[in-house]
Amino acid sequence: MTNFKMIIAAIALNIPAITAVCAADAPAKLEVAFTGIDVQKGAVMFGVYDSEDAYNKGKSMNGARVVADKADVAATIEGLPAGRYAIKAFHDIDGDGQMSSNPFGMPTEPFAFSNNAKGAMGPATWADAAFDLNAGGTKISITIK
Amino acid sequence: MSAILDRRAFLGSSLLVGAASIIAPDQALAGASPPGWALGVADIEADIAEAPITLVRGRAPTGFAGTLYRNGPAKFRRPGGAAGHWFDGDGLVRKFRVGDGKATLAARFVDTPKRRQETALNRMAMPGFGSPRGEGVSLSSPDDGNAANTAMLMAGGELLALWEAGSPARMDPETLATRGFKTFRDDLAHMPFLAHPRVQPDGVIWNIGSGGGKDCIVWKLNADGSLNKAEVIKLPRASYYHDFTATARHLVIVLQPWLQEAYKFPLSTGMVWRPEQGTQVLVIDKDDLSRRRIFELPAFSFFHLGDAWEEKDGTIRFDGAFEADPTFGQTSASALLRGVYIRAPRPMLTQVVLHPNGRTEMLASKIAAEFPTVDKRFAGIARRHTTHVTHYRDMPFAHGVGVWDWQRGRDDSFDFGDQHLVEEFVFAPKGSGEGDGWLVGTTLNLKVRATELHVFDAKRVAAGPLATWRAGIPLPHTFHGIFVGARG
Repeated sequence: MTNFKMIIAAIALNIPAITAVCAADAPAKLEVAFTGIDVQKGAVMFGVYDSEDAYNKGKSMNGARVVADKADVAATIEGLPAGRYAIKAFHDIDGDGQMSSNPFGMPTEPFAFSNNAKGAMGPATWADAAFDLNAGGTKISITIK
Repeated sequence: MSAILDRRAFLGSSLLVGAASIIAPDQALAGASPPGWALGVADIEADIAEAPITLVRGRAPTGFAGTLYRNGPAKFRRPGGAAGHWFDGDGLVRKFRVGDGKATLAARFVDTPKRRQETALNRMAMPGFGSPRGEGVSLSSPDDGNAANTAMLMAGGELLALWEAGSPARMDPETLATRGFKTFRDDLAHMPFLAHPRVQPDGVIWNIGSGGGKDCIVWKLNADGSLNKAEVIKLPRASYYHDFTATARHLVIVLQPWLQEAYKFPLSTGMVWRPEQGTQVLVIDKDDLSRRRIFELPAFSFFHLGDAWEEKDGTIRFDGAFEADPTFGQTSASALLRGVYIRAPRPMLTQVVLHPNGRTEMLASKIAAEFPTVDKRFAGIARRHTTHVTHYRDMPFAHGVGVWDWQRGRDDSFDFGDQHLVEEFVFAPKGSGEGDGWLVGTTLNLKVRATELHVFDAKRVAAGPLATWRAGIPLPHTFHGIFVGARG
């Protein structure tokens, strides 16, 4: 069960301002849909990672907070360079900005990864969560429940 | 197996079991017919609609009416792979209802995320006590691996199917439909809740749960099932515990030297038997969990305890089914699923005495016994009797039921014979004195391939069942149940 604490550590997001990145050339648009939201309150918080190293260290290069007032919500991030990315997300139901956990460190708020990649007693791996952002833009969908 | 195992031998044997467990059962049994007792760990493919069962002996005693809910694993194998351990099959809740001299049976699987995922994968893949993690499973919390297969609890009118490393599953007492996991408070989601809560005669429920190390959560529920308090305490060692017990004033946590030294799947492969460290008993004041005392006992392994009680001078007594080492849980219970019998040390009914001066005693009944249960009206207060299964042969499972009398040192038992696998019996009260009532429980009749429901006079067990009903089908061996009287 100790490994569940890794999820908390892994998903604790350091979300920079959405406008932080403004790529000089070939900016691409990433559209992220979150579906299956059971408890329609709070917000979905997600971080975008541009390398395995950053993903493993929890250093997101972009991200956003999306109000979770419907079963399906979406966000768009513009200006990312085309390339390979992964997303970690959690549903901040209580709105405290943190991923909540029980006294033994297990997550008590829903979390998810791009590609709907699954971890086992820990976060999904970069290899499973990574996707391509094309120059023409990419839409992805993540189920978070 | 010798009482002392070195770590390498222990882990080595566990790994072998792990490897063997991934062999499909039809391969393992190729060329040999499964033994008759294997019906006790057979698969049930679908829920069973409520239907009458047939009275085949005696008649229902006057005044005996109510519902016996029992839980136990009943799905172990799928085309793509099998579970690695008896404890890791899917929970099937059985409902035996008796009224007006007639009986019915219904059974329904607990609809867990584990069962849904494994149904979709068409193989058993969820990690557990003795099962490795298969590819493709999602495990976001312990409740994703929750088999909900161990015991039942009625808490404030809510029927709960219990496991031990996650939340209780909520069940409709009438239809047995699953209503999702029970969360006592949002911040306590997915916290472990053992399958053996201790219910005081006033209805207050105590339970504990393991954080996988020395961390332990203590639960106190009000008689209406609502949360009274939940507090995390530190134990002196990272022991494996499936059960605990309690007196009216104290929680009694028995810490066998079967220690969780690593966290990996199957969970039991991270547990190491350290008999040289002996068994400890932690006694905690229910009103102040920081007030505690530790008693030392010789090493024994165990799964189940009876309710404890306290004498005027503070002496604490409780009993349990103690084994010389954890061979049963570690290897034998895995081998069962492959139709293989590995003899393990017999569980022996034993009473522990904790004296106020720190001295301890272990009183042997010399009865091989498991699944101890008591007249719950006397939970936490002085009592004489412990109901148990008994009459073991050179094969898995018990063949008889008995009531041990600690005062007279005598067992009143009934042997169903070689052809019955005898499951836990629970007490159903009638009068007001201890033991005034019936024992109700089930056996799996191997000869006619059918599950049977039996009712005994709790004070005349040797006389045999007062009534026996036979179902049209055999259901695999259960773990634990509760009887809910028709009058509430």
